[in-house]
Amino acid sequence: MIKRFTFFLLPLFMIYSCQSGGEADADFQIPDSIANDAALEVSEEAMEEIVQNISSPVEMAALIKSMGVPYSNKYLATTDNTDDLNTSFDQALALGIFGADLGYLNMYNKTTTVLDYIGSISKLADALKVGQFFDFSTLKRLATNNTNLDSLMYISVHSFNQMDDYLRENNRSSLSSLIVAGVWIEGLFLATQVAKENPGEAIAERIGEQKLMLADLLLILKNYKKDPNFAELILKFERIKEEFEEVRITYEKGEPQAIEQDGMLMIIQNDKSIVHITDAQLGSIIAVTEEVRNEITGN
Amino acid sequence: MKNTTLIFFFLCMVSFSFVDVNGQSASQLVDLCAASAGDDATYLQDFVVELEAAKPDEKPPVAKFSMVLKKGTLYRFTVCNSESSPGKGVLQLIEAGNLLGSTFNASTGQEYKSFNFQCNKTGVYHVFITFQEGKAGSAVGILSFIKVL
Repeated sequence: MIKRFTFFLLPLFMIYSCQSGGEADADFQIPDSIANDAALEVSEEAMEEIVQNISSPVEMAALIKSMGVPYSNKYLATTDNTDDLNTSFDQALALGIFGADLGYLNMYNKTTTVLDYIGSISKLADALKVGQFFDFSTLKRLATNNTNLDSLMYISVHSFNQMDDYLRENNRSSLSSLIVAGVWIEGLFLATQVAKENPGEAIAERIGEQKLMLADLLLILKNYKKDPNFAELILKFERIKEEFEEVRITYEKGEPQAIEQDGMLMIIQNDKSIVHITDAQLGSIIAVTEEVRNEITGN
Repeated sequence: MKNTTLIFFFLCMVSFSFVDVNGQSASQLVDLCAASAGDDATYLQDFVVELEAAKPDEKPPVAKFSMVLKKGTLYRFTVCNSESSPGKGVLQLIEAGNLLGSTFNASTGQEYKSFNFQCNKTGVYHVFITFQEGKAGSAVGILSFIKVL
């Protein structure tokens, strides 16, 4: 009787275990004092609101390319140390950084170098137990076949999105926040290096806007400040935040317009955000961003 | 014993099939919808929605998503209904409580599969997805990057 009962229960157990979330943040041996905290200081809803695309590799790379700036591999983080990253903290941060670099490489169609970064991303994803979202063989095939670059871009971005959703749905938001932090710092580094060599209003404005993203990012990271690794990362990002202190962002109101162009509805926003950033402020942001990013990547 | 074993294996097959089907359908719809956004569109984000019908005397349910959009960028919002969806999805773009754009014009009845959004203010925006007439439905919304302005 018991044996029959067990036979019936086992498939139900298998459904439950396949669908249930993982244990809360088992990834980097969080001390009990953090693991048992009743609730995060920022609500889950607010966290989702902030995190989703705080930094977009596609958009930053597209801005840089639209300026006519030629590709340069000196902007990229090294993948040489990938195998030496053996904590989930370092792996997640690196995953974000390489994700930003992958967006840059895809935008410039650098398919040979893309393979190297896809390989490192796959290794890190496997180590973090999210390797199921990166189909290395498909990505490799698309990168090798130069006629399918749109698919490569789509799968790269979609894989990161799926991985991020999975981490947040399975009580691994801390890793998600690290990946976002990695994408953000690398995106800011790319933008500031380009601005250093190719100054312009558009890139300066995009850098100045990062004041808003950084404030939100620190809000997320401070939920984990009791962890010494997070505390150290927060201190690094606070150094960058200090340089943004005097950057001002003002707003003008306007009514949106809706027009139809070639059968497509176009909404034109007439609200404006205006970034006020001096050359000196930009110079300081460029310098400290380079320091902090290189401390993180070991470049 | 043989009957028990057969029942056990049947239950295993059923349990794994429930885990699999729904996930594949949503994923396929995301792939199709992203591809339908246009040759000039680069996928950024997707919004997968499945809602029940509105109960009598209640407002239709709405799925809400948030994202950061950047000044000086042209975006496209696209909505695609699943083949089995009873209701037609409506995607709305909201900022600071103001409706900026929608795939459905309630006053004219005009439906759009997509709309472009010329962003001039960096900040947090919200996408609301609901279904016409408060029907149940399943749909996907896609946010695409078109170009730097």
